[in-house]
Amino acid sequence: MNKLVKALAAVTLGSIVVCGAAACNKDTGNVDKEGNTIVKILVHVDENTPEGQAYKKRVDAFNTSYRDRKIKASISFKARSSGAGGYEDTITQKFKKGTLDDIIAFDSPNCAAYANSKILYDSTDLVDAATKADFYESSLNVYENKLYGLPIQESSAGFYYNKRIFNEAGIDVSGYTVENPWTFEQFNSVCQQLKDAGKKPLSMQLDNIKDETATYLLYPFVYAAGGSFNDSTGYTAKGYFDSEASKKGYEFLYNLVQKGYTDSTIKDSDFFAGNAGMLLSSGWTIPDIEIKYQANLGNDWGILPYPKGATTASAMGSWSFGITNNGVKDKSAAKELLLWMTSPESSKIITDATGMIPARKSVTTNYEAGSPRDVLMKQLASSGKARPATPAYPTFTASFCNVAYAIADKNTKLADLNSKIATAADSVQAEMDRIKNRH
Amino acid sequence: MLTTTIIILAVFVAAFAAFVVWDLVKAKKHRERFRVKSTATAYLMLLPAVVLAFLFILLPILYSLGYAFTDYYSLTPDDINFIGFDNFADAFKEIGNKGMLYHAIINTLIFVVGVVPLQIGLALGLALFVNRKKRGVKIFKVCFFAPVVISLSVTAFLWLEILSPAETGLLNSLLGIFGIKSHDWLRDPSTAMLCIIILSAWQGCGYQMLIFLSGLTNIRSELYEAASLDGAGVWSKFIHVTLPGLRSTLVFVIITVFIGACRVMIQPMIMVGYQEHVVTLSYYMYQQGYSFRWVGYSSSIALLMTIVIGTITLVQRRLLRGK
Amino acid sequence: MKLNTVVSDEYVFLHKKRLKGKRIAKDVVYYVCGIVLSLLFLFPLIYMLAASTKSESAYVSDAGSMAMFLPDFAHLGTMFDNYGKVFTDYGIWRYALNSFLYAAIVIVLNVLINGLAGYVMAKLRFPGKRLLSFLIIFLIVVPVETSIIPLYEIVSELLGLSGVMTVAGVILPAAISIFNIFLFIQFFEGIPKEYEEAARIDGASTIGIFFKIILPLSKPIIATVAVFCFIGVWNDYIWPMMILPYPEPGEWPLYPIQNAINTIQNIPGVTTGEKMASLIVTSIPIFIVYVAAQKYIVQGFGSAGLKM
Repeated sequence: MNKLVKALAAVTLGSIVVCGAAACNKDTGNVDKEGNTIVKILVHVDENTPEGQAYKKRVDAFNTSYRDRKIKASISFKARSSGAGGYEDTITQKFKKGTLDDIIAFDSPNCAAYANSKILYDSTDLVDAATKADFYESSLNVYENKLYGLPIQESSAGFYYNKRIFNEAGIDVSGYTVENPWTFEQFNSVCQQLKDAGKKPLSMQLDNIKDETATYLLYPFVYAAGGSFNDSTGYTAKGYFDSEASKKGYEFLYNLVQKGYTDSTIKDSDFFAGNAGMLLSSGWTIPDIEIKYQANLGNDWGILPYPKGATTASAMGSWSFGITNNGVKDKSAAKELLLWMTSPESSKIITDATGMIPARKSVTTNYEAGSPRDVLMKQLASSGKARPATPAYPTFTASFCNVAYAIADKNTKLADLNSKIATAADSVQAEMDRIKNRH
Repeated sequence: MLTTTIIILAVFVAAFAAFVVWDLVKAKKHRERFRVKSTATAYLMLLPAVVLAFLFILLPILYSLGYAFTDYYSLTPDDINFIGFDNFADAFKEIGNKGMLYHAIINTLIFVVGVVPLQIGLALGLALFVNRKKRGVKIFKVCFFAPVVISLSVTAFLWLEILSPAETGLLNSLLGIFGIKSHDWLRDPSTAMLCIIILSAWQGCGYQMLIFLSGLTNIRSELYEAASLDGAGVWSKFIHVTLPGLRSTLVFVIITVFIGACRVMIQPMIMVGYQEHVVTLSYYMYQQGYSFRWVGYSSSIALLMTIVIGTITLVQRRLLRGK
Repeated sequence: MKLNTVVSDEYVFLHKKRLKGKRIAKDVVYYVCGIVLSLLFLFPLIYMLAASTKSESAYVSDAGSMAMFLPDFAHLGTMFDNYGKVFTDYGIWRYALNSFLYAAIVIVLNVLINGLAGYVMAKLRFPGKRLLSFLIIFLIVVPVETSIIPLYEIVSELLGLSGVMTVAGVILPAAISIFNIFLFIQFFEGIPKEYEEAARIDGASTIGIFFKIILPLSKPIIATVAVFCFIGVWNDYIWPMMILPYPEPGEWPLYPIQNAINTIQNIPGVTTGEKMASLIVTSIPIFIVYVAAQKYIVQGFGSAGLKM
């Protein structure tokens, strides 16, 4: 009796194992049982968010449209969280296992590092010139003159301002537009007027210099001052990050703090509560104000562009889709999905859900002229400058934050700031060397 | 991966076998014997723990050790090369240049030296406070333990609000009542680590309080009565009855709090960011490994940390057990 | 007091009254100190509770004043709206259920596996024991921060777990804890061997002794281990985030509760009040568990002796 039971157990267990193994091997390669080429796409958001839903809708539409051409897309969601176990770890671990999706979403500053590490596939020949021309030039994910991805959407940032406070202080900014932006001097003058009127002039979210937000908001000032961060190869920072022109950019920000126009005690919540004149923030804040802060701000607010130094520069950059080097040789199916997910139609649907700016110029929007969204979109087209393209980007942003942190401290002397800039440039250079020498 | 694992497994089985043989030989010398049945039972009962510990504790540590000698860059997981001691050389160079690693070491040292006595002192004080049979003492115990229950990241966020540099920040407004000017506690290098030390001790002392409470219950009350008869006062009783009675508990608490303190990472990460005046060893290691993608280098720092912490712990054990 | 002095009843009465007065004064001082200390430890929770009842504009206007510790009494009707939203819109109860399930399995496995190991190390003699003793002390000291990437590789590559089976990848590593083995060893060493000897004379096997004699005697240490296992599983989110797959639409999500909390924190448009409400919801079960098991934990640590 015992032996019978044992035999039965063995057979059951055995068959479970076999069935399990068989189930795992359902689809060999990327062609399914009906002859469809499967294209897998991995996105960085939770499915239950408006953005996730938008992606899902587009993938479903793709499948309907390509049913005859026998291409089927399948979407996975891996909500990003910073650090361990995050989205990037998913990508690298899948890459290692050889199961990386055909298309991944990636944050545009990571393009250089992913391209350099051969995670992204050189798609230069897959996308025709007409399509490329429909994107903003600094928006295309190009590294070493090759194209590695197309933006899903774009972004911009600007100076939100409280119209009631400006009126009370007698400040007229109607002349400052994207076409005719205010200069550094005019910007300082407005801040001074706010300060003289007894208001908190400006919040640059200096209380939160912990992540990419700070870099994103502040880096354009270095470009606007005529400076830069690295050379075109992405492997030299010394002489760029700490050039004289770049230093003018850091000093402009430094002086804002020194003159008392802003510091780490003036937070974004002060602006939302109606207590600060201006807030430097990204386009994300528009829906925030519209949904959460109606009570305190109403419709009495607008957006001003980044001020002009030696030139104009404003923040830009968001996530992109790119084809991966996942071992699949024939990229034609992936190309179809890539072009579909970044088409003008997708662009419109996705940005309607996220509130970001469409990355494709041909997408028509009906923003009222002069409205906040309109200002940001025009600014992107006219002065958007991408963050530095270098494989050492994480170190760049950490080092930039070190400098920003010193700037935010009222007690920093100019000599300290300059030495911090030098140290930061050295760190970035060291990291660039390290990555370069690895190969 | 499979081959490396099998090799490591083989090494361990061999080492274990060697120990078994050694024990058998020793036993034979002493004319003792190990009974086959009880040995087999022992091995069987140990099996699940050994298998799980091997797979999920030992193996990752050994891999980490291995990576410390490679140039593992997380974006190129297929391209891992052995580079000998290069990572360690880089680490020492960074310390020599007074780079982030240097600051991480200093800050970790400051934190440990500050938090260990503070947290243990608080815990002991609270334990003595609640070690009575009064009504309501149970409520106090729950209150003191409350911060332990909240995860460290939530605590960090809350204290971020409290230490906010604005005049309306909680601490600043409280001090403002006494006319003290508001201060950017976390930005000022002279107060940042101090604040982190205090809030960390605050968060953790409830846990050690429990351990001390259990230690106190093991001290026989006759000892206190005898001391009273000898005319001892409260302080004297503490020094001569309580402390010696808590001896082994103290050793345990000191060692565990010390090891935990060396690993501080969440507080500076959430409250300040990757800045010189608060970066700690674990934070540095995490940043190098997960943000900058240098898994190999990060593992080498982990190895160095382990060696230092391990050595100090062993020394502590010897010293504290001493008498 | 001199023993042979005749003392009047009145004197004794007044003296006792004075002593009682002193005692009451001491009690008052004690309780006041206790309350002050308790507030010091509780105030962030009070702050969180208060914030969880507020809408965003109420929260922002209260910030910075003493009102931040007070619930939103002005809007009594909507005070618990945030909680409603957390439960319905964000479906937190599914994740809570997952966490309870994982915790239950982890606790049972933890007690069995580590308890068995602890018993063997504490009570049995066998060759090779010394290597294992050394390993136990060694493994307690080593930091685990960098082990996450190799651990991920082991679970996904070596063991090839995927899909629903990744739950095993969350539960099994949590089922083994060298520290808990250490606690069990210390506790079992304190159990007098007479119990086992009596059982052996009656013919019990080693395993039988473990389940029928040792475990019932070990309630305090089991409670301690169970409580800390529960807290660990409940608060864990980095590892489950790495390992567990994203649920297909309509599928039951596999994530435990802390991941849901993190997702909620990052949803665009979530208000501070909603964030706080979700944090309070996660903290409550731990509180309850702790309060219920408090007595056992103290006993558990106490009997363990804790000799390092």
